[in-house]
Amino acid sequence: MDAPLLTLEAVSKSYWRGPHELRVLTELSLEMGAGEFHVVWGKPGAGKTTLLKIAAGLETCDRGSVRFAGIDLACIPEAEHARLMREQIAWIRRGGPSSDLPILDYVALPLLPTFGHRRAYATARDAMARVGIGECVQRRWKSLSDGERALVGIARGVARSPSLLLVDDPTTNLGLREREQLAALLRDLADSGVGVLMTVPDMKEMMSAHQIATLSGGRLLAPPEIAPHAPPPERPENVIAFPGARRRG
Amino acid sequence: MSAKYAILGLVIERPGYGYQLAQRLEERFGSSAFAPSGVYSALDQLSRDELVRAAGEIGPGPARRAAPRMIYEATDEGVDHFEAWMLGSSPAPPLRDELHMKIALCRPRNVQPLIDMVYGQELACLARLRDLKQLSHHELAGSEQEWSRLMRTLARDAEIASWKARIEWLQNARELLERLLEESRVLDTRGGPTPTARPRANGRLGRLHAL
Repeated sequence: MDAPLLTLEAVSKSYWRGPHELRVLTELSLEMGAGEFHVVWGKPGAGKTTLLKIAAGLETCDRGSVRFAGIDLACIPEAEHARLMREQIAWIRRGGPSSDLPILDYVALPLLPTFGHRRAYATARDAMARVGIGECVQRRWKSLSDGERALVGIARGVARSPSLLLVDDPTTNLGLREREQLAALLRDLADSGVGVLMTVPDMKEMMSAHQIATLSGGRLLAPPEIAPHAPPPERPENVIAFPGARRRG
Repeated sequence: MSAKYAILGLVIERPGYGYQLAQRLEERFGSSAFAPSGVYSALDQLSRDELVRAAGEIGPGPARRAAPRMIYEATDEGVDHFEAWMLGSSPAPPLRDELHMKIALCRPRNVQPLIDMVYGQELACLARLRDLKQLSHHELAGSEQEWSRLMRTLARDAEIASWKARIEWLQNARELLERLLEESRVLDTRGGPTPTARPRANGRLGRLHAL
């Protein structure tokens, strides 16, 4: 049987503020497959960004393990991780280019080393059309609405045809209609076979997901459907606690 | 809330028999909003009040031993009564529920069971959100008029906002209870008061009473 696309097992993470430990994730476990759209809601500071960074292997966890398609992200060389980030895992966060590039350049830029100029620009155009901003190719970041900027982020992610999209609070500052459009787009991407893990500040975006969860106090809590591989919980610990080995970090 | 006005509204939209109305009620409001048996008691009450009436019967269907099914339609009084209800004021929901009271009155030895209870309620709220999510997909797949779809989306958004507020409060309560429990264990290992001990008025566990 194929390994799940993404598996987090008993992941714990703390930050230290001087002598004070700030526990962000506590024995958090999550499993998702290709073509699944998971949405995690949490209050500001709940650890949503940390969760996504750890899922991408961009940040190490103190305990537990993170596997992408069966590969333990803590146990691979940096070059291999960089290759996964170029080809398989897209981490999409808010924010734009530091200079006011034409948007097509901004989307094509990460593709240039792998694809070469012609193919990178053709792929960037296709990605922008796919997410519904094909008419924005010559516009610049400052001229875009918040909704268009969010879609540029998605276009940069999907341009590389990744297996896994990790999307960090893309709906912040968006209106109701733009949020619905974005959620529907991500649902379509999942239906086409991409695994999508998105964090959101509002619960309305959860309505498009296949599976939903909340993050609070370092723990992920989900109704039974989010953990089809685990027995239904009698106590929440059954959902969130898995035995995990200590890894790097 | 009684299913009475929901059933009356559905019958005004389109006449139907009991089982059909129960299905439509679930499609519209989710599986846990109203008990299925409430449909029949609501129909009995609406009939007694002459707000709905029998509009005929249809056959027993494939199960021949079953009784014919009564189709209900709204009376003129029923339509007027529904309109009056629609325009009347709606009371704000009660603020305090049983869990609020339990937390306000809990003693240190109750903290762990309360944490489990709060977890259970969080899961129950998430299950309701999951039900709403499934309803949303049903709505998207339907071929209803845009106006009706938008009204249902608006009602759904109100429910989401209500569950979100509830979940946020439960999370805050759980995080605080867990912190207090942990601190009490640290105190315990240092020879301080045990979780079963009577809390001092200004002690950490004493703060539970101020929630």
